[in-house]
Amino acid sequence: MKILVMRLQGAKRAKLFSDERLENLRRLMDMGCFGELEGNPAEWNILARHETHTLTLGEFLLQAGKDVATFDDFSALQGKLESGTWDCCQLTASFPADNGSADPYLDFDRNLGDSLQHLSDDTLLAVIGEGCFVLVASNNPITGYQDGSTLDLTPTILELAGYPLPSAREGKSWVAGMELNNSAGLTEDEQAILRERLSGLGYI
Amino acid sequence: MKKVIVIGLDGFEPKIAEAMMARGELPNLMKLREQGGYSRLKTTPSAQTPVAWSTFSTGTNPGGHGIFDFLTRDPKTYLPIMALSRYEQKNAFVLPKVVNMRRGTPFWDLLSAKDVESTILRIPCAYPPDKVKGRMLSGVGVPDLRGGFGTSTFYSTQTGLHTESSEKTITVSVKDGKVATHIIGPRDPKTRSDFKFDINIEVQKAENKIFITSQGQPEKLEMQLGKWSKWLKVKFKIGMMQSASGIVRFNLRQLEPEFELYASPVNFETEEPLFPISSPQEYAHDLAMKIGRYYTTGMAEDHDGLNNERFDEFAYLDQCRIVLRERRKMMEFELGRFEKGFFFCLFDTPDRLAHMFWRFTEPNHPANRGEDVSRFAKVIEEHYRECDEIVGEAMKHADDDTLFIVLSDHGMNSFQRGLNLNTWLYENSFLALKPGFKPGESPDFFQNVDWDKTKAFSFGLGCIFLNMKGREANGILTTEEAEKTRVGIVSGLTGLVDSDRSAVAVRSVARREQVYSGPYASEAPDLVVNFSEGYRVSWDTPLGGVPQGLFADNTKKWGGDHVIDPALASGILFMNRKFRADAPGLVDLAPTILNALSVAKGAEMEGSDLLS
Repeated sequence: MKILVMRLQGAKRAKLFSDERLENLRRLMDMGCFGELEGNPAEWNILARHETHTLTLGEFLLQAGKDVATFDDFSALQGKLESGTWDCCQLTASFPADNGSADPYLDFDRNLGDSLQHLSDDTLLAVIGEGCFVLVASNNPITGYQDGSTLDLTPTILELAGYPLPSAREGKSWVAGMELNNSAGLTEDEQAILRERLSGLGYI
Repeated sequence: MKKVIVIGLDGFEPKIAEAMMARGELPNLMKLREQGGYSRLKTTPSAQTPVAWSTFSTGTNPGGHGIFDFLTRDPKTYLPIMALSRYEQKNAFVLPKVVNMRRGTPFWDLLSAKDVESTILRIPCAYPPDKVKGRMLSGVGVPDLRGGFGTSTFYSTQTGLHTESSEKTITVSVKDGKVATHIIGPRDPKTRSDFKFDINIEVQKAENKIFITSQGQPEKLEMQLGKWSKWLKVKFKIGMMQSASGIVRFNLRQLEPEFELYASPVNFETEEPLFPISSPQEYAHDLAMKIGRYYTTGMAEDHDGLNNERFDEFAYLDQCRIVLRERRKMMEFELGRFEKGFFFCLFDTPDRLAHMFWRFTEPNHPANRGEDVSRFAKVIEEHYRECDEIVGEAMKHADDDTLFIVLSDHGMNSFQRGLNLNTWLYENSFLALKPGFKPGESPDFFQNVDWDKTKAFSFGLGCIFLNMKGREANGILTTEEAEKTRVGIVSGLTGLVDSDRSAVAVRSVARREQVYSGPYASEAPDLVVNFSEGYRVSWDTPLGGVPQGLFADNTKKWGGDHVIDPALASGILFMNRKFRADAPGLVDLAPTILNALSVAKGAEMEGSDLLS
């Protein structure tokens, strides 16, 4: 599974979670899980701290031979997403925005919407603000509100995306031991739905 | 010319109009006939609203716009699907997008390109709406909140109520004069269950009324027995973070001995429609702010409520009047500020009303079952007089520099008998059932059809498709065999006699290439059946059923129809200018309107200017 992380430095939870205009973000919140994070938000990408160096999500994926790219603006990110040739993209944006935008949250939501257009279904998407997050993946068994430690994010992301976790790590994956969703989805009574939809026509 | 005003009267039948005019009725249409002229108007194969209006819009035969029937099929699954629009979803993270399946170039695109403004109200097959210079409100093709042509809900204290196909039923109980229940909203795509909106009903038997209280708008809605309520705006919570708004209205049918309440399909609300229904997007709501809430679904008239006998003819007539009145308000409001360019408003009610009241004009109609028909025998004519009044109102806005047109897309006829087309195909060895099954044992969706042995199948309103190798999932016919099959079907069906009535049921069968040409002709049915007056495909055919017996009486209240040989289903055409009356057709309207507004006709347009 591909991994797309949007780290929104300085973005406030109260804004992200309660501004009804942020339609794209709200849809993602409904699709996946969201909540509050304890700890230093800047440490979201830390997987393990060794004496001499710190292993981050990006580094871990690079070591696994994956295509990892980092961005600080949406247009460059979208170019990469559109190319389709990537395994992990990380965007870092600052709130309030450097460009002095009057409404950075709404701008972000629009940019988010544009970025979503370029994703495939097998993408894990995480949006990380100051002490808060939204996490969406088709196999994510957790929906609704979830809270935990900032350091849990990277292990959770990696496990959902299908990577084996190193034994030496700081946080714990929220989905450890849980059965992941099968993306095939539910079987539906397609005929009943079709019949209902079409029969209101009158002619049939 | 400075202005072109077109009033569409869906399904307005020339034979009725002509007879009424011969008696001196329909004064405004008669005036138009005098000023300019009147002719029957050639409709499309097949004679259906979406097909015909798309030809009006694009000036091409259906092969040029890709709409051949309300329904089409998915060749991969053989399942019938809605032909008018399609939802496409790029990926799981984004909302689905609705795509109009009417293709070709509508003439308002050409007007827009030349900076000529249009006001287009309730045009079929423009969902999502075309980006027009001016304003457009989509018509037939706009779904209800559940994504179909319209699902109503019937609340009753009776247990064991049979649920018909286009409705939901909810068994309720009245406790201390109170009913706690809910309105059914969209389906949750994750769980397939329905989103709900709670309502509480307070029954006041002595006053023959109820109150519905909820968190909707208004918070307390009053309604009288037998009457249609005002709109209730409801909001379904479709996730922790998202909601979907809709509007619904009720008909209180009975308070005792049983409590019975009908709720209309939930229409899109104009301020926050799930998908855009107007261009510009905010236009639908701007209009609602001016004239009040209005029906937004393509099929505004609740014909299924009557068909399913959830309310009676009087209630249906009332509802038709509500729809007509609000459409007229729309028209008058827009004509009031219309100064130049193109104006169009479609009135669907003549069609939806005549479908349901036709049987009263024919005492021998099988749907009457001995009922006294005199009560409603004149309803269609009365309605035509109301339409004439509307035409008169619109004519006030036509000056010397205006081309004024009234037209219908097709006529209306009797529907007494239905042909089980799939059963005919079965009996003539074109369709096979799985071993051990016989007709009557293969319900909708071709459930027990043996595709490996089936050469042809029918669904929709008279379409026959061949089971082609390389095209259908289990196709078996090569090109050579296909031709033999078509010859066999055409010769077998042409002149087919309904032996119970000693009448010819099928006049002819058209081959695709005889009636369709253009870029989308390859999507057309391989054959189209042209029925005689009084006939149509049976109720069991459109969704792919194979019932017992070749013919069936039509005992439904939907007793009139027009999906017969297009040669018998012409519409009407009135203009305030003299026009060529040599068999004008729907394809001629686009060039006529464009020319009147000094814009060159499109390259693909097949007709010609009727005024030249």
